[in-house]
Amino acid sequence: MKPIRLAAGLGAAFMLSATVSTIALAQAPVCSAPVKVLAQPRDGLTLLEDSKAEFEKLAGAGFQIDYLNENDRRAKSRADASTVGNYNVYYVDEANVALFASSKWIVPLTDYYPADYDYADFDPGRQKVATFDGKVWFAPLTGGGDLMVYRKDVLEAAGIQPPKTLDELIADVPKLTNPDKGMYGIALRGARGSGANVWRWMPFFKAYGGQWFDGDKPVFNSDAAVKATETYLKLFKDSAPGTQTGSWDESTGAFLSGQVAILVESTPLSGMAVDPKTSQVVGKIGFLPPPSPLPGGGYGHGLAIAAKANADDASKKCAGLFIAWATSKENEKRRLDAHQFGELNRTSILSSKEFADIYGADLGQALAETGKVTAVNFWQDPRWPDLGDRWGIILEELVTGTRTDIKGGLNELDAYANELAKKK
Amino acid sequence: MARRTSLPVTFVVPTIAILLVLSMVPTLYAIVIALQNRELSTPDYSWVWLSNFVDLFLDRRFLNAVWVSVKWEIVTVVATMVVAIGLGVLMFEVASPRLRNIYCLLFIIPVLLPRVSAAFVWKFAYHPLYGIATYPYRLLTGGLIFDPLSKPATALFAVASVDVWQWGLFFAVIVLKLLETLPPQPIEAARLDHAKRWQIHAYVTLPMLKAPLISLMFVKMIESLRSFDLIYVMTRGGPGVATETLDMYAFSQGFIESGKVSYASAMAVLMMIATVITFTMLWKRVQA
Repeated sequence: MKPIRLAAGLGAAFMLSATVSTIALAQAPVCSAPVKVLAQPRDGLTLLEDSKAEFEKLAGAGFQIDYLNENDRRAKSRADASTVGNYNVYYVDEANVALFASSKWIVPLTDYYPADYDYADFDPGRQKVATFDGKVWFAPLTGGGDLMVYRKDVLEAAGIQPPKTLDELIADVPKLTNPDKGMYGIALRGARGSGANVWRWMPFFKAYGGQWFDGDKPVFNSDAAVKATETYLKLFKDSAPGTQTGSWDESTGAFLSGQVAILVESTPLSGMAVDPKTSQVVGKIGFLPPPSPLPGGGYGHGLAIAAKANADDASKKCAGLFIAWATSKENEKRRLDAHQFGELNRTSILSSKEFADIYGADLGQALAETGKVTAVNFWQDPRWPDLGDRWGIILEELVTGTRTDIKGGLNELDAYANELAKKK
Repeated sequence: MARRTSLPVTFVVPTIAILLVLSMVPTLYAIVIALQNRELSTPDYSWVWLSNFVDLFLDRRFLNAVWVSVKWEIVTVVATMVVAIGLGVLMFEVASPRLRNIYCLLFIIPVLLPRVSAAFVWKFAYHPLYGIATYPYRLLTGGLIFDPLSKPATALFAVASVDVWQWGLFFAVIVLKLLETLPPQPIEAARLDHAKRWQIHAYVTLPMLKAPLISLMFVKMIESLRSFDLIYVMTRGGPGVATETLDMYAFSQGFIESGKVSYASAMAVLMMIATVITFTMLWKRVQA
């Protein structure tokens, strides 16, 4: 009996030690220091800070988010990633993910994104924008395409049907402008930047059949680019004051304060427009996809794991866990409960009954329709921000009248694109 | 025979050494990378020697930035000094000592505001629809729109007005305090000679304050070179490149647009050389 007792005793001891080590492993904190995040202000991230204790309990350390507005965030993250590497997590977007990925400033996300958090649940369009060179680089915080949001009351008063085509839009906008009554036909973005004025201009470029390249040769000065710019400048004559050097904030601000009849903008606008806390036009608006053939500007912003600050695997796992938790279904549900429309990215949430109850069937229908015409309009390449920003300055000059020669400006851009193309 | 002591060396050498390290290391580093072709997106680089400097002189944005910087210096320095002297003299002439103290307190407040805060406040004040600064124009013209920050002809002046609002008012307080420290006899003598008030200031008080006023002007010239934060918040160098100064353009090239840090350093080196030469010449001229 003794050998049996001994074997049983040894077996029990082994089981006990294995259990104890499993518990110890399970309790070992994933993070040894607070996760430092560089981001731009988002309601979803502000809400996330209320649940800081939950992450501390999960990971063993907290997190700290530093906020900078979009252009500053881009400049700062670029400088940080290429030099000191102070931040564990960067907020990246469709315009700079290619640069960050190809420069190895961020690491592929799915290697460190825990499977339980179900990355596949994100909206497929946003997953596409987060993918570069066959790898996924960020988990979306926001994204989508474009919607046309219009004032039903203003259009009805003018006897105008909501425009279904670009030609109708061009014809209707001047008729809706009435500065004496503080009403402007449209609001566009004039401020320089690949994510500002160029972002709004690109659907026109694509609508007129524009392509960035003819084979390997850049064709940034094509007839489509000229026509797109002419149309953009023509529409700008009826754009709300303040938008000539403004961007998203100025154009949406003008619409939400009741001074704009038609606005084609990124989808988060629709959530803001139906929220009485942010909108003075609640109950007066309708939603439609952008007038044909304008494609929607597919975009996505999200969180990525920094390479430099996370030198070892443990740090990368910690950053990955933070990103997974921040973009989890539970946190997205909190954002839905807080009516943060622009912060919703998961199909399980967007197709939920709660979503339909809050935002109504019209918006859901428009979102489904616009999804069909949403496209990636920009050149998916690390050199895009440089080129896009260069065009942004020229376009701002054209909008504000510092420059009048459209073809000359595009020739200058094309010459710069050729210079950049040689660098590859 | 004077006794030799090591005390001055003990105090001066460490200070000079720290200053040299703090100022020379970044300067030399900037010069070195200006001779290379470093970009943020890649660790690879090579020596291109003076190529960045040659490219700069063929770059229309750089030449525009030089011109904008010169305009910015002239406009802000001249306007600040005019406002400071005008208001300082006005307070000296018409305000009671009690009122002067109240004005001084009020005039110091703008300069205490962080530049970025001041820039945001004025950016909203200049809004064409809601801005308090554009309200009188809307009122007088029956609602016509004036958007000074989006007009190439007015944007630089609109931003410069914020700089003058901060520094001109502060310098006015200094000018008032300088006037109060002057001996009263020359002013009394001029009054006995039936000199008018403007003549007293033009020919007596201001010439007596020539040295401190020149110092103030130099301070303002140096301060105006560091206008990046104000311009960045209010116009980001726009509309187009109408308010893009050299520091704005260098930052854009280095960190916003293309990550060309060597190209940006070449601009910084040129700025440093131009500043040193200009200030040395001006200083010598003033001393003469």
